[in-house]
Amino acid sequence: MFRSRVATLGVAALVLTACGGNSAEAPQKKTELTLYNDKGAWTKYFDEMGALSKQRIGLGMKPTGYTDSAQYQAFIKASFRTKVKPDLFTWQTGGMLAEVVKQKQVAETTAIWQEAIKAGDLSQDLLPYYTVGGKQYCVPMNVAYWGMFYNKKIFDKYGLKPPQTWDDLVATAETLKKNGVKAFYHTSVLFSFVWFEQLLAGTDPDLYDRLSTGKAKYTDPGVVQVMERWKQLIDAGYFINPGDKTDPGDVLKNGKAAMVSFGSWFNTSMTTRDMKAGTDYDFFVIPNVNPALPKTSMIFESGPLCSLTKADDPDASQKYLKWWTSAEAQEKWATSRGDVSANPKVTIGDKALGTVTKDAGGGKYRLVNRYFEATPPPVLTAALDGFSKFVTEPDSYKEVLETIQKAADEYWSTHQ
Amino acid sequence: MRNTAPMFGRFRYGYVAPAVLLVAGLLYAPFVWTAYLSLTRYDGLEPPAFVGLANFAKLFQDEALLTSTRNTLIWVIGTMVLPVGLGLLVAVLSYDIKGGAWYRVPFMLPYALSGAGLAMVWSPILSHDGIANLLLGVDTAFLQDAPANTFAMLAVWTWQQLGVNTLLFVVGLQSIPKEPIEAARLDGAAGWRLFRHVIWPLMRPLTAVVVGLALVAGLKTFDIVWVLTQGGPGRNSETLAVTMYKETFVASDYGYGSAVAVMLTVVTGLASYLYLKRQVTAT
Repeated sequence: MFRSRVATLGVAALVLTACGGNSAEAPQKKTELTLYNDKGAWTKYFDEMGALSKQRIGLGMKPTGYTDSAQYQAFIKASFRTKVKPDLFTWQTGGMLAEVVKQKQVAETTAIWQEAIKAGDLSQDLLPYYTVGGKQYCVPMNVAYWGMFYNKKIFDKYGLKPPQTWDDLVATAETLKKNGVKAFYHTSVLFSFVWFEQLLAGTDPDLYDRLSTGKAKYTDPGVVQVMERWKQLIDAGYFINPGDKTDPGDVLKNGKAAMVSFGSWFNTSMTTRDMKAGTDYDFFVIPNVNPALPKTSMIFESGPLCSLTKADDPDASQKYLKWWTSAEAQEKWATSRGDVSANPKVTIGDKALGTVTKDAGGGKYRLVNRYFEATPPPVLTAALDGFSKFVTEPDSYKEVLETIQKAADEYWSTHQ
Repeated sequence: MRNTAPMFGRFRYGYVAPAVLLVAGLLYAPFVWTAYLSLTRYDGLEPPAFVGLANFAKLFQDEALLTSTRNTLIWVIGTMVLPVGLGLLVAVLSYDIKGGAWYRVPFMLPYALSGAGLAMVWSPILSHDGIANLLLGVDTAFLQDAPANTFAMLAVWTWQQLGVNTLLFVVGLQSIPKEPIEAARLDGAAGWRLFRHVIWPLMRPLTAVVVGLALVAGLKTFDIVWVLTQGGPGRNSETLAVTMYKETFVASDYGYGSAVAVMLTVVTGLASYLYLKRQVTAT
């Protein structure tokens, strides 16, 4: 009996040894870093960056792209507790960044930021998005300004020009409707928040900020009015079916909708479809709903590129992040995707986006943090489901706001 | 012989240890861990904080869970009625005729698709400007309104599962002894009466298995819903398995997601037990 137990223990020990590893590992010097990201569609561009960095700083980079962000986030969170160590990973600013910083999982980048700002490679305006508890973490993987992409051929056909006021925009939608063209794209999946944030930021950006910090309620009259305005637009028949699974890039190209509101990264979807800016499509800044506001509200987002505190070779990771912010790296990163850059020195090839970037840098707009980052994750989940319900059942807006507020109450009761 | 038997006996635990460790490590340990997480508040980052039965209490107040329970019930009943019922019908109509196998082949083909693949194929068909609307000459948002969207997905599921159920029933029909059927025919039984009073009772053991499998498949419905609607719009087409996934990995509420998982396990276990017990008692 004793021997058999010993044998059992022996087998168990063998299995456990096989599963375990050497806990005391010496730091390695790496020549290639892994970059985990939830932007699977950008693998080609990450690969190009890897080739360039190898050539310039002797440090290659291999991307592993996920396409499902929930799966990606679960993987990154799990990696904090395991021996899987992505050298670099993409994440989100706002509550999501604060969460992982609190866990001491993300390496500090204060020194990189200070140097980059001094050298003019990063703008001071971006700093708050990357600051938690007075220190900086991660660097901007990308920045994006949100506005309206429109099918220029359709606009030209009906003699339409980019609108200067909100009323112009509605009139444009009305003209398109009379000609049997759906004006706007919207969706019930993931990006269901787009029109909510746009309408709220363009009506009352202060209320938008208060709402994201739990100082206002989703059931407040200002928010209810925004939903009613959104509902009017839906009821007027300006939107395509929210359940349409066509890729928004194809929606715009095929003219299924004449306008699609997204961040400047959507430009990549246009260029990969061989569409020419200024001929096939163009971009305009969405005018405020409330004309009395001093500045046009513009939705802004910035996605961080981070490194782990426990990375195999922390110096190499920091070196890479520093290089990433440089004009040389950003020139390549922005041009290959046809997007804007976090580095003010980079010249933007696309005329419309170049102007927006310049104007935004000059303080022309009131930049409003994108809803996705500005809203705490548990409230965001409820809101995305809520807006998804609303776009298919616009009459449900009051019920939807109450459901989101319930999640917000629950969250802010422990996070004020 | 006298010497080897005790030797074998002494090491008997050693021989089974790898299998036991694999089962314990890969099946029991995750279940125990999930059960533990269901009693905690855990976001995947902070260490789990014990909250007792709070997550289970929340289950009973959660409106979204009520919707997923309703949808899961539709899936369970639907799976037992449609793929199984129609499978039986196709089997009965085709097994005793010349070239019957050829009639069954088309029903078998969709079975080659995985759940996710199936949904990918049907997604454009059921979309608003898809071929389903075009063929039927209607303008229906098949995947939009509840509970119609669940029925639409159930139809897709039936399309796939029909073949395998047919196959199982055909095997059952072919394995029935010929004598009682011939005796019944001599006594004048035919058609529905022959089926209802002779064939059906003889097929009971096989039907028990097919229905039991359908019951479990219905309860764990996930892939087709996730790919076609992601449980939406809103949360109106979620099943319990989708709710479990969304709460855990999308909302990062691992504690509550685990509570849904425990509840789903208990319901599935209980339903299977009661069903099989009834079947065993009946036979």
